[in-house]
Amino acid sequence: MLEIKNLHVKLADEDKVILKGLDLVVPKGQVHAIMGPNGSGKSTLAYVLAGRPDYEVTEGDIRWNGESILEMEPDERAAKGVFLAFQYPMEIPGVAGLTFLRTAANAVRKKRGEAEYTTPEFLKVVRERAAKLNIDIEMLKRPVNVGFSGGEKKRSEILQMAMLEPTLCVLDETDSGLDIDALKVVSEGVNALRSPDRAMLVITHYQRLLDYIVPDTVHVLAHGVIQKSGDKDLARQLEKSGYAEFIDAAA
Amino acid sequence: MTVAVMKTKAELTLAEQFAGIAAQLPGGVEVASQRRAAIAAFTEYGLPHRRIEAWKYTDLRAVFKDPAPPSVEDIAKLTVADLIVALGPFMDLDAARIVFVNGHHRPQLSNLTGAEAISVRPLSGQIDTLVPLTDDAVIALNTAFVTDGAVVEIPASVTLGKPLLLVSLSAGREARFATVRHTIHAGAKSSATIVELNVTLPGSAVDGQTNTLTHVTVGDGAALTHAKAAVEGGRATHLSNWIARLGADAEYRAFQLSSGLAVGRNQLAVTFGGQHAKLDISGVFLGRGHDHIDTTLTVDHAVPHCESREMFAGVLDGHARGIFQGKVIVRPDAQKTDGKQMARVLMLSPDAEFDSKPELEIYADDVVCGHGSTAVEIDADLMFYCQARGIPPAEAKALLVASFIGEAIDRVTHDGLRGVLEASAAAWLAASDQAKSSHQDRD
Repeated sequence: MLEIKNLHVKLADEDKVILKGLDLVVPKGQVHAIMGPNGSGKSTLAYVLAGRPDYEVTEGDIRWNGESILEMEPDERAAKGVFLAFQYPMEIPGVAGLTFLRTAANAVRKKRGEAEYTTPEFLKVVRERAAKLNIDIEMLKRPVNVGFSGGEKKRSEILQMAMLEPTLCVLDETDSGLDIDALKVVSEGVNALRSPDRAMLVITHYQRLLDYIVPDTVHVLAHGVIQKSGDKDLARQLEKSGYAEFIDAAA
Repeated sequence: MTVAVMKTKAELTLAEQFAGIAAQLPGGVEVASQRRAAIAAFTEYGLPHRRIEAWKYTDLRAVFKDPAPPSVEDIAKLTVADLIVALGPFMDLDAARIVFVNGHHRPQLSNLTGAEAISVRPLSGQIDTLVPLTDDAVIALNTAFVTDGAVVEIPASVTLGKPLLLVSLSAGREARFATVRHTIHAGAKSSATIVELNVTLPGSAVDGQTNTLTHVTVGDGAALTHAKAAVEGGRATHLSNWIARLGADAEYRAFQLSSGLAVGRNQLAVTFGGQHAKLDISGVFLGRGHDHIDTTLTVDHAVPHCESREMFAGVLDGHARGIFQGKVIVRPDAQKTDGKQMARVLMLSPDAEFDSKPELEIYADDVVCGHGSTAVEIDADLMFYCQARGIPPAEAKALLVASFIGEAIDRVTHDGLRGVLEASAAAWLAASDQAKSSHQDRD
């Protein structure tokens, strides 16, 4: 279970406060969506969960399976099962996709006390999981994300997620830059990972993604706090009414 | 009246050393006279210092203070097992080899199986004359002190099946100043891969000194890959010169890896002697502690329709200093020249220093030439990305450093050679982390 209590977050080298006492609980087996206007703190929440150093938590706590993760390095969080699918996946020139995937998968397996993949095992697993995401294995011989289209980058993120077998999946604007076909492939990939042992937090600006990844609960984030929570119909209402009421609320 | 110039201790020592050993150096009357002329020229120039523009960043008077005794005879007793240890990752390269220990040919350690189609012999076996070369103090010292080296002749149209290693090994408890000169002649339409290795036997003095010179001619239509790995013991002084001339339609791919050098100066001078030739020079220099590694190259487009590429990548940690000087001359007749140069450095420490001096001297008007130079730190966003995927910081850093130098190493097209160069660089990076963590342990 993910428990976020009274979370206050500011930029590390500026005084700008972004999250102002956010509370959120996501039980295992559930998918929660975070929606909200631009600048409401959605991506900040995603980065803080993953442990990006540019942010500073000034108050509150984040607990995953009962354990505070605030003092953990990003790689330790990953080993504990936290995974962030980036809104803008990064390019790493000179590092082949397969090398990167194998290094990452074996790093978390080692920390979790699981046997590291041998080369044949790894290739078998990666082939299977890549095929489900319509990813050609040849593409993974190229440097990580270099020269990939927007859709390829997002599919590559979901493949990383499938290989690392996380228990807390945070998807930051995974729908941005995707056409409808790519959106379906990515959503199927995410849905395949839904399980009673996994919690998912799907961050999005638009309702469209939630037609494919149907959430148990929808939260509206604005001005650094959760303003409203509801079931999947809340997303549809927002699609019609927009975020005006939440933007005006604090104005 | 002449002005008396104060000689440094090192300059006086070198002149005295020469006087002491001249009679023992190989070669006949002509060579002996060439050596005397060279030491006289050196005595006149003195060691190059910062007021000489080409040596502005590498003041040999300051960094080369104690010439070790010249190595006039090889007393180190070595076996093939020792050689295997010294070669490290390079042992994995399937290659023929000619081995020199402290500047002296060691046939027992050499193995020329696979190189039967070409001629490989030690210079010391027959030195008729030493090719007189430019007015450079380090080259003059090489002419004066040279004891041995490989003379490699690749006949026209011959393709050498596997790489040839020219191994220069430093061994022994006392540091020695070894002086080696190789000659490589690639006949017309021949093809070969030749790799110079400068290594120190583990357990030997880490502050050995070498002065190596390689004189290369690439015949018309020949394709030569020429690499050098100076992967020394940690506090070595390595003074190196490559002087190459390319014939028409020749392709010369050159690569240099430098690590474990307290003082490294790699000079490369390449002249295009025939049209439609291609040159690709790349390299990686790795420095930490107070290492000082200088790459100074001159590419002379003396004829039209030639292409040159230079791509160097450095990694500097601690107080290390890297220098890249790249001069490209395009002569008035050298129309349609296509030249590009890039030097990139990854700074792992705020105390590291990189000095870059690109120089384009273009006298022709129909040419495409460019250069660039950057110094960057490890990208914090990429570190976060790797860590968010579970990769621990030390491993993430190693991955990103390897990715950084990969761009230069990837210029090496021979798969086996590229593999051992990558392994050698990786070993240096791993050693760097160990040195750091043990240092932190002490804190």
